[in-house]
Amino acid sequence: MNALVSAAGVGRRFDDFTAVDGIDLEVMPGEIVGLLGANGAGKTTLIRMVLGLIAPTFGTITLFGGSPGRQARRRLGYMPQGLGLYDDLSVAENLRFASRVHGVAQADSPDLATVADVIVAELPMGWRRRVAFAAATCHQPDLLVLDEPTSGVGPLARAELWDTIHAAADGGIGVLVTTHYMDEAEQCDRLILMAQGRQVTAGTVAEVTRGISSVEVVAPDTAGALGRLEEAGLVALPGGGRLRVPGAEETRVREALAGQTGVRLATTPANLEEAFITLVAT
Amino acid sequence: MTRFGLDDVTVDEDGETALATVDLDVTPGSITVLIGADVAGKSTAARVMVGLRRPDGGRVRRPADRRRIGYQPEAAGTWAELTVAENLAFVASAHRMGSAGVDRIEALLDVTALTSATGRLAGRLSGGMRQKLAVAMAMLPEPELAVLDEATTGLDPVSRAELWRLLARAAAEGTAVLATTSYLDEAERADEVVVLDEGRVLAAGTAGEIRAGFAGTMAVSETAIPTGHAWRRGSHWRVWSPNGSHPPGSSLVAPDLEDVVTAAAIRRREGR
Amino acid sequence: MLAMIAKEVRQVRRDRRTLAMMIVMPVMLLIVFGYAASFDVSAIETAVTGPVAGEVAGRLPETFAIVDVEVTDPVDTLRRGEADVVLATDHGGAIAYVDGSELFTARAAVAAFNAAAVQGAPVKSEILFNPELDTSAVLVPGLAGLILLFIGSLVTSLGVVRERQAGTLEQLAVMPLRPRDIFVGKIAPYFVVATVDLVVVLFVGWLVFDVPFVGSPWLLGLGAMLFLFVTLGLGVLISTVSENQGQAIQLAIMTLLPQVLLSGLIFPLESMAAGVRWLGYLLPLTYFNQIARGVMLKGAPLDSLLMPLGLLALLGVVVFGLAVLRFRHELGVSEATVAA
Repeated sequence: MNALVSAAGVGRRFDDFTAVDGIDLEVMPGEIVGLLGANGAGKTTLIRMVLGLIAPTFGTITLFGGSPGRQARRRLGYMPQGLGLYDDLSVAENLRFASRVHGVAQADSPDLATVADVIVAELPMGWRRRVAFAAATCHQPDLLVLDEPTSGVGPLARAELWDTIHAAADGGIGVLVTTHYMDEAEQCDRLILMAQGRQVTAGTVAEVTRGISSVEVVAPDTAGALGRLEEAGLVALPGGGRLRVPGAEETRVREALAGQTGVRLATTPANLEEAFITLVAT
Repeated sequence: MTRFGLDDVTVDEDGETALATVDLDVTPGSITVLIGADVAGKSTAARVMVGLRRPDGGRVRRPADRRRIGYQPEAAGTWAELTVAENLAFVASAHRMGSAGVDRIEALLDVTALTSATGRLAGRLSGGMRQKLAVAMAMLPEPELAVLDEATTGLDPVSRAELWRLLARAAAEGTAVLATTSYLDEAERADEVVVLDEGRVLAAGTAGEIRAGFAGTMAVSETAIPTGHAWRRGSHWRVWSPNGSHPPGSSLVAPDLEDVVTAAAIRRREGR
Repeated sequence: MLAMIAKEVRQVRRDRRTLAMMIVMPVMLLIVFGYAASFDVSAIETAVTGPVAGEVAGRLPETFAIVDVEVTDPVDTLRRGEADVVLATDHGGAIAYVDGSELFTARAAVAAFNAAAVQGAPVKSEILFNPELDTSAVLVPGLAGLILLFIGSLVTSLGVVRERQAGTLEQLAVMPLRPRDIFVGKIAPYFVVATVDLVVVLFVGWLVFDVPFVGSPWLLGLGAMLFLFVTLGLGVLISTVSENQGQAIQLAIMTLLPQVLLSGLIFPLESMAAGVRWLGYLLPLTYFNQIARGVMLKGAPLDSLLMPLGLLALLGVVVFGLAVLRFRHELGVSEATVAA
């Protein structure tokens, strides 16, 4: 089986700023690959290289085995952050336009039937995303590229959107997703964690967090403990009355907090965010 | 102890309900986090809290003197064409802080690690640094109440952690901190959590209390469940059984915050 | 491609506001400006003095509208703008003193007098204040006002809209600042810049176009300050009804265009049909034009310019008041409903 998207050491420079710096990427049919990172990490630039909208400065990238370009794009469905819908047209008109542009017959969308004549600008965000998804998939693409698909929607709409994405992947479509929500990491088969254009780590959630632990600190004087840890150069995350120090060793934490009474320490496996912080620091 | 907050607040905007009978408490010295999606109404709640919007129903409890409030609006909070130092100086003079302001600015610059960037234009700072500056500006007058709207949205985990340390520091100074966010995982960082969905409170309390208040059971299944109370997470389904019996072939799990919130949203929709 | 065209057509059909603008506005503009645009002079305000005044007055053609004004010094009468022409009659003939700053009126008057005779002697015309009947001398003062208007309204409105879009306006509202603090703070720097602009423009006018400046700079300064007040206030007012910079620019242009054509800058106000002329009386540029021309070309004294100055002040108060009201409404930080 051939990869739908394949990138090796790909990067892009703009004048003196390197937006993407050496990323390896592969999306196979039926799998969901997530690009996880903050704003400015380079996710959107990488996506634009996958789509063939800009050329890489170094490294290689292929789309459906060839160079990314207008022809290759016919086989993929793209849902940009801004949704790509026409706010002043109705749902039906948007879908009609999308089908005609791709040269396919307009498919029936039974779940959108109730809002077919509603102007997009008047729809709530959750519905708009569903319309955008339908528009992006009307031509039965082999690959879906979704840029922050669940941004700005409530919990139910988000769950439903992921159900739809999984259904597509189960049907053999490959999905490339970008997000800045850590808790969406579990929805992906594989992750690429990005920071400042670089690949911090890649793999499944389990692979990424393997071998990284955090020290949990319970102290009566949390504020004081926080201060001591800061002085010792240790990043501590406050939460629910306790502190977590990602990627540190118990002995070092104990040393920093020497002299504080009633302190209890425990070493626990790091969650994804803590793993991210630890890996970025190294 | 004086607690700030909203009592039964309703806000109507253009014929739509932005907030409906929302109760919210912010205690001095602690952090309350208001979680919700974009249209959940959290920015509206923040604006009602600081007085930019008068509620159509209910009451607001906030300091009477505007000098005792610190506010960072969504996606803003700093003047891009001013330097870091100028931004802080403006806030200090608007709050008429005088010479005490100078010391306070120095202390905050140190805490936010912005001392070396005082001469840089705010518009040229990285996202994380700019947000830290914005929070510093809100904290500058040592306010009784600090309201920060989406201070952490879009930041990388390291910057987010630093920002939360700033918030913890503000709380340690006695400020009542209200932070809105779209990240559910920040619920664990706060002392009080209020989850908002479509303008209504979906769940409230500490993270532990919200989890404990979950009605029904959660289970994990490898195969699809047709009941409508199941949703995908990765390769498996999370199944919610409101009446406590889980479907055959699924294994019981402890519900996490996302499960609780999703179940509550489903319950609300079905109750409609 | 067909799909693109179909989509665009659908979108345009739905955008009623743009359609209205594209169809209704040109018609409206044509009608208004059609009535306004006239170089013809309908009435030349004339004061007649001298021993045979009554006789002569009766025999003047209809274009000369006799005004009942006491003339002690013809030059002063013209300087004060009490008449466009003073016809000083005598037994041996007459001298017509013509106000050169009223360009079209002056031309029409001179042409008429050249063909006329009083008491058998030809009328001698003396053109004051703008002897060459130079167009730029008449235009430049008003142009200075137009430029101020453009910069003042447009730039000020953009400044406020930008702040609103960036979200920082909200923050200002929550800080212990009063709405009027924010308002004055917003226009203060533009005040300074606009004043410098005015000086530069007038200087260039004097240097390149030989525009005279015979009157009191202080008087012009007073007029300019009042005018700026209205202009910048208008800018802020525009910003309170604009959601984004594009809208602000649109509105600023819409308030600018009528002033070019209806303020008496190009087409004399007296020649416009009554309905359209009233529009002109509402525009700040109309009054600044009167003040600037009066001061620069004629050296008009303060008491002759009280009306335009007063009206500018009135306009200023109205615009400022409206702007602050809207500002306050927008930034309306309500009092604490209950003190905690």
